[in-house]
Amino acid sequence: MTKESTTAGVTPARGWRPFTVLTRLFGRPASAAGTSIVLIFLLMALIGPLIAPYGVNEQIPSETRQAPSPDHWFGTDHLGRDVFSRVLFGARDILLLAGLGTFLAVLAGTAIGLLSGYRGGTFDEALMRVFDSLLAIPALLLALLLLGVVGPARNALLIVIVFVYTPIVARVARSVVLSVKSKGFVQAARMRGESETWIIFREILPSAFPTLTVEGALRFSYAIFLIAALGFLGIGVQPPNPNWGLMVAEAREHVFQTPWALWMPALAISVLVIGVNLMADGLRRVLRVPGA
Amino acid sequence: MKMSIFGFRPTSLSMVIAASLTLAACASAAPEPVGVIRVGMQPMVQTDPAFISSDTEVLFANHVYDYLVDVNPQNQVVPRLAAEWSVSDDGLIYTFTLAEGVKFHDGTSLTPEDVVWTLDRLRDQDVGSPAADLYGNIEAIQAIGDNQVRINLDQPNPFFLFDLSDNHALILKANTPDPATAFNGTGPFKVESYSPEDRIVLTANEDYFVEGAPGLAGMEIIFFNEDSAMADALRGGQIDLMMRMSTALFESLKVAPGIETYDIPTNGFDLVRLRSDRAPGNDPRVVQAFKLATDRAEIFELIQQGYGAVGRDSPIGPLYVDYYSEAEQIPARDVEAARALLAEAGYEDGLQMELHTPDTGGRPDLGAVLKEQWREAGIEVEVIVEPESVYYGADGWLEVDLGITGWGSRPIPQFYLDVMLKCGAKWNESHFCDQEFDDLVDIAGSTLDEDVRKAAYRDIQRILIERGPVIIPYYFAQFAAIREGFEGFELKAFAGRTDLSQVSLSQ
Repeated sequence: MTKESTTAGVTPARGWRPFTVLTRLFGRPASAAGTSIVLIFLLMALIGPLIAPYGVNEQIPSETRQAPSPDHWFGTDHLGRDVFSRVLFGARDILLLAGLGTFLAVLAGTAIGLLSGYRGGTFDEALMRVFDSLLAIPALLLALLLLGVVGPARNALLIVIVFVYTPIVARVARSVVLSVKSKGFVQAARMRGESETWIIFREILPSAFPTLTVEGALRFSYAIFLIAALGFLGIGVQPPNPNWGLMVAEAREHVFQTPWALWMPALAISVLVIGVNLMADGLRRVLRVPGA
Repeated sequence: MKMSIFGFRPTSLSMVIAASLTLAACASAAPEPVGVIRVGMQPMVQTDPAFISSDTEVLFANHVYDYLVDVNPQNQVVPRLAAEWSVSDDGLIYTFTLAEGVKFHDGTSLTPEDVVWTLDRLRDQDVGSPAADLYGNIEAIQAIGDNQVRINLDQPNPFFLFDLSDNHALILKANTPDPATAFNGTGPFKVESYSPEDRIVLTANEDYFVEGAPGLAGMEIIFFNEDSAMADALRGGQIDLMMRMSTALFESLKVAPGIETYDIPTNGFDLVRLRSDRAPGNDPRVVQAFKLATDRAEIFELIQQGYGAVGRDSPIGPLYVDYYSEAEQIPARDVEAARALLAEAGYEDGLQMELHTPDTGGRPDLGAVLKEQWREAGIEVEVIVEPESVYYGADGWLEVDLGITGWGSRPIPQFYLDVMLKCGAKWNESHFCDQEFDDLVDIAGSTLDEDVRKAAYRDIQRILIERGPVIIPYYFAQFAAIREGFEGFELKAFAGRTDLSQVSLSQ
C-alpha cells in the first residue's frame, strides 16, 4: 500500500485536479456563468490597465459629467475622469487585495485549524474560545477597529482581511480534522510512527482540501464586499484610488448629475460577488463538499 | 384571526391619514393671514447666544434676539437696536443711541442697562464666551440716560462696529438667570416651542420695533441630520427653505420644479498650505514650485463648478470690495518652471509628500485634482483623507507639512491675517513668518486712516502671491433654495445670519 493510494482512497472527491474541476464547473449553467464572470474579471485585472482608454486618474476638465457614449463607455465623473478606465483599474486592486488576503487567511487558518484540531486538549479549547469571541464581533466592526490601530496604510487592508478571516477558516479546518482524526488511515499512519507534521499535512490536509477550497471561494467573495464596504466608508483606501466602494461613495453626492459614476462601480461589485458566489456553489457540488 | 387583522388595518390607517390631514389643515389654516416659512437646518446644540456657533444656532438666535448693529449683505454696518452712533475723533469712545419702542418678549422695555449687562457678560472671561477675546480691548461700558450706551476702548479698533455685530453679541434682558432657556429677546419672532432634535416653532412678535417686520406669521426650523434628506424634504414640500449645501446638491435643486435657487460669492475658502518652518517648505523655491504647478482656474471649474470666485492665494477676497485688489498678477501655471525650481532646491527626482485633508465639502476632490496637477511638475502626493474631527482634533492640522483647511467667511479680512498668517499666531498652520508682512498686518489692524489700510492690504496681497506658503484656489459660494411663493429673501454669506424677518408671502 503506497502512501498516495492511502490518501487518495478516502478523499471525498477523487482526483483534485484544477483542470477537471474547471471542466466540471462548466457543466452546470449557474456555476458556468459564475466561473465565466470570475474569469472575465481576472482578465480585467490582468490586462485592464493595458486596455484602459484613459489613465486611472486622468482628468479631462473639458469633459466632466459626460453620459456614457462611445468615447466614454461608462461616462465621466465630476472631475472628468473616465469611469470605465477607473473600473478597469479598480478590478486589479480589489482582486489582488481580496485574493491575496483570502489566500493568506486560508493559509494561516488552515495551519492553525489543523494543528489545533489534531492536538486537541487545553490549547485547542483556549484558542477556539478566543476565536469564538473574535467571531462574535461583526467583520466590518472588527475591520474598523483594526484599521484604527494600524492606520490607513494600503497594506492595512491586507492585514485586516487576514485577521478577520483567519479564525473563520481555522474553525472550518478544525472541524474537518475532528471528523477525520479517528478514521482508519490516520490511525494507520500513527501506528506506522509517522511524525505529527506528516500526518497533519500529508494525511489530513488532502481530506480538508475540497472544504477549504469552497470556504476560500466564499471568503473571497466576502473579502471583496469588505474591501468595497471599507472603501465606501472612506477607510483603508485614500482617494483618488479607484477602489469601487470609494468610487461609489465619491459619486453618491453627485448622483443627480452623474448617476453612471455611481452605478458602474456598484454594478462591478455586485456582478463580481454574484459570480464568485455562483462559482463557490458550483465548487461545492463538484468537490462534493457537504454543507449549506 | 387573519380576518380581524385585515378588517382592522385599513381603519387604523385611514384614521391616521385623516388625523394627519386634519393636522395639516390646522397648520396651514391658523397662520393664514401671512404664512409660515419652514426652514430645514442641521440640529442645534447651543441655545445661549453667548455660545452659539453653527448656522442653525445663529439663525435661531438672530430671529429671537437683536444685535446692536448688524452687517447687511453688502458687508456694511447698519443700525439695528442702535438707531445711531457716534465715534470720538481718537476712535476710543463709541456712543450708541437705542431705537425707540423696543420691547422684550416678556413685555418689558429695552434699557441701556440690558445692553451693558449683555456686553459685560460676553467679555467676562469667567462666563467663557468665545467672544470674550474679541472684546478684550473694551475698557468700560456704561449706560447714559435712558437710551444711550457708551463704550470706551483701550486702543483704537477700526473694526469695532464689526466686532459688535459678532454672532454672539445678541442683546439679552439684564439679569436673565439662564439665557439658554429663557428665550426672552427683542427679536422679530418669539419662541413658541423647542423640541431638540425635531424643530423650533416661532411666532411673529407683533410688537417688533421694525416697521413691517416680520413679514410672516411664523417660522419653523426643522432639523435634519443629512443634507440630502433635507433636499428631499424641500422637493417634497415638507420644508420651504434650505441654505448652505454642497455644489452637487445645489445643482440638483436648480432643476427641481417650483424651487428658486440663490447663489452668492462669500469670502470663505479652502486653504492649501505648506509648512514653511522646515524642509521642504522652508525653501522659497519649493513654495514657488507648488504655486506654479497649480492651475487655480481649472480647480475652480472642477470643484466649484463655476460658483464663487477663482482664488488669489490671499484671504482678502472679492467680497471685501474696498480692499480686494487684482493689481498683482498671479504667475500662470508653468510646470517646467516648477520642475526647474524643484531641481534647483535639490529635488531633481521630484518631491514626495502626504497631502492631508478633512473629508468634508469638496476637499477630498480638491486633493485628487491637486495630485494630478502637481504630478506633472514632479510633485507626488499621497492624499490622506481624514474625518474632520480627526483632522482638526489634537491640533494635527497645525502639524502636518501639507494640508487643506476650510476657512469660513468673515465680515472683515483682518481676522484671517491675525490668527492665520501672522508670525506665531494661534492658527498659523503654514508657520509663515515674515517681518514685512507682520508690520503691514499691524498697520492695517490699527490705523484709523482708511487709505493707509487699503494700501497695507494691497501690499499684503502682493506678498502672499509672491511668497506666502499658501494657495487659495477658490472662494466658496453660499447657496440657498426656497420654494416659490415667498419674496424678500436675501441670502447672506454666513447663512445663519440671513434675515428672514423681511420675507413674506408673494402677492
